[in-house]
Amino acid sequence: MSGISRRKVLIGAGAIAATAAVAPILAACQPTPKTGNGKVVVMTDPNEFNDDDRKTLEAATKLKIEVVASNLTTLYAMFAAGNPPDVFRVQAAGVPQYISRKMVKNLQPYFANSKLLKPDDLAPSNNFYKWDGKQVGKGDLYGMVKDWSPDFTLFAYTKAFDDAGVKVPSDTAALTYDELRDLAKKVNKTAAGKRVYWGFVHSNNDAWIDRTAMNMLAEKNQSLYSDDFTKLNISSNPEATKVIRYLYDLAADGVNQTPIDPSPNWMGADFNEGQIAILQYGYWYSAMAESDKTKGKTVFLPAPTWSGVRRDPTMTATGWVIASQTKDADAAWAVFEQYMGGKPAQDRAKSGWGVPGLRSLYPQMPQETAFQKQVQKVLQGELSKSDFVLQFNPYIGEETFSTSWKKNLEPALKGSISFDKFVQNIESEVNTAIADGKRIIGG
Amino acid sequence: MAGATQVLPRTMPRPAAWRRRRVRRAVTFYLLISPWLLGFVLLSAVPLAAAFVMSFTNYDGLNLDYLQLVGTDNYARALADPDAQYAVGRTLLLMAVIVPIGLVLQLALALMVNQPIRFSNVFRTIFYLPYVIPVVAAVWVWKIFVDPTGGVLNALIGTVVPGFNVRWLVQYPTAVLAVLTIWSAAGGGMVVFLAGLQGIPAEFREAAMIDGASRVQVARFITLPLLSPVIFFNLVTGIIVALQVLVQPMLLSPGILGLNPGTVPPRENYFYVVHAYIEIFTKQLFGYGSALLWLLFTVVLGLTLVLFKTSRRWVFYGVEPS
Repeated sequence: MSGISRRKVLIGAGAIAATAAVAPILAACQPTPKTGNGKVVVMTDPNEFNDDDRKTLEAATKLKIEVVASNLTTLYAMFAAGNPPDVFRVQAAGVPQYISRKMVKNLQPYFANSKLLKPDDLAPSNNFYKWDGKQVGKGDLYGMVKDWSPDFTLFAYTKAFDDAGVKVPSDTAALTYDELRDLAKKVNKTAAGKRVYWGFVHSNNDAWIDRTAMNMLAEKNQSLYSDDFTKLNISSNPEATKVIRYLYDLAADGVNQTPIDPSPNWMGADFNEGQIAILQYGYWYSAMAESDKTKGKTVFLPAPTWSGVRRDPTMTATGWVIASQTKDADAAWAVFEQYMGGKPAQDRAKSGWGVPGLRSLYPQMPQETAFQKQVQKVLQGELSKSDFVLQFNPYIGEETFSTSWKKNLEPALKGSISFDKFVQNIESEVNTAIADGKRIIGG
Repeated sequence: MAGATQVLPRTMPRPAAWRRRRVRRAVTFYLLISPWLLGFVLLSAVPLAAAFVMSFTNYDGLNLDYLQLVGTDNYARALADPDAQYAVGRTLLLMAVIVPIGLVLQLALALMVNQPIRFSNVFRTIFYLPYVIPVVAAVWVWKIFVDPTGGVLNALIGTVVPGFNVRWLVQYPTAVLAVLTIWSAAGGGMVVFLAGLQGIPAEFREAAMIDGASRVQVARFITLPLLSPVIFFNLVTGIIVALQVLVQPMLLSPGILGLNPGTVPPRENYFYVVHAYIEIFTKQLFGYGSALLWLLFTVVLGLTLVLFKTSRRWVFYGVEPS
């Protein structure tokens, strides 16, 4: 055909493809425009940011807010396209990595000038948003928790204890992890091959297994990683081996949900269904722990201890950060500040879905029902043990350790590999990931 | 030049109207194919090209501040990666199971609903339904269906075999996945086979039967050869789907994360694209993951070409393909 040949069209299409393939990379290399358009894109969990919150913040800031549902895959894709959300939801484990990779904005100057978010009013959990290049908890502040909980506390379903003829532990004295394991074995129950009660479910189906291990180790001033985070040390650290062995044995005991005994649901729902005797979850879960089935049969217990030096920090520190590539940092901060210190923060405090990120809001936590009062009694004791951070590795993603754990736990529990090989595989995979991360960001 | 014969030019000059009509036809043609072409360029060619560029870098998907060219390191790593090798084995096994069984089932269903029986349309609809159910819903239903504690499957078998209790997703995860994949794809393949069956003129079969051919001979020498282009199509698409399986094994995995970083399928369901997904989104090795996917693309392309090459020997077209 004259004028427009197939060849020309194919060449044109190829050129468009090549240009479009390179365009995001080139675009991302351009300096970010300094001014926005009066719109702030917030990536967060819609369950934590409802339409009323959006309207409240829009009224308070005179800005338009676009909400994008929080999802790591989408977040990475937006960063890859050079167009990340202005504000996004993170968990503590990802913070050092985001800061190291210059993805989030240093908010220290904003906090210094804020009337709503005063540094001395910030809850200790906000230290998870500090990273000086070497340690979590040191340096400038890059974000803030939306709320938080001492996360190593326990919820006991008393019916499971009654069925087993076992006394429910005291809510004034912390169990040791060894006592907890013994107790879990006693209340664990299956009937005709079907699950009645899991004895002790923890670490969010192993997604947070490294956080549990880190907190146990920190009681002895030890870490999963070398001081410079360049190596995962389990086999060469007897205490780390002991902790990992303990967590592995819990899985092997069959008291926890594992790859060979999974639940089709999440652990919170299983507790509500009366299928978990002891659940390790933070204070926030008290807002939903009492279902029709568990109402009046749920007790909140202090966090267990590994070596007698009690620590009960948050292990999630879910909060917000501002992308370093935001087109309008001031607008993003305005939304951030109102969400963290304005009416939405007060509403969250009253709801009981977490300890507020500001100390001044602590008294607003609910204390009306008998359960809420019992929870508050335990919580007040735990708050004094929560002024700690976990040292997350800046070179790896927040799921790297747990993915390796889960991948190797299944063959280990099935007997295909030994415990030593299980540890060796995790070390090898995580250390490879650390080396990859280190190669990328240097340091 | 009086008396000389006038020599006509060898070709007549093209009238302007004729040229305009050709241009109009070309424009119409390209406008009509533009939705597909745009879709192909933006959704296939661009990502493919971007992934190819990425596969030679250390790109982590987060920012470009630390982007570096790494040459063919990612490809060398992929070829030496034991997890990738394991995943290739599992993927080939899955393909070897679900493609032939799927094809036979699809053809059997098509033959069944092609019979002049009452309510054949109802059966066609029932068989086709799984194909249009969203994969997330289908997998979720299966997960509950095979759950050892509250699942229907164990309860049903338990009525015949008291005390029966199998953890399907733990003990037989690949079998569950294979059945789910075959079940959900059967309707789509059936419709294609049905169209092929209905395109075979009845006269061919009737003539053969008048000549004394048995039903088996009719099937062997008339139906199957004339159906071979459809078999070929379903075979190629089946192989491509099997090699790229990702969503179903991720959604069938323990936990509720689904297709998100952190999900780890049972070891038996650790397929190639699952491995690539984990490398990309969990370990943030976008460059390495892209190399893995480009290797897969090369294999798929190679396999497809081999199939096309062999198709000359066993695929019979009513008209020769151009």
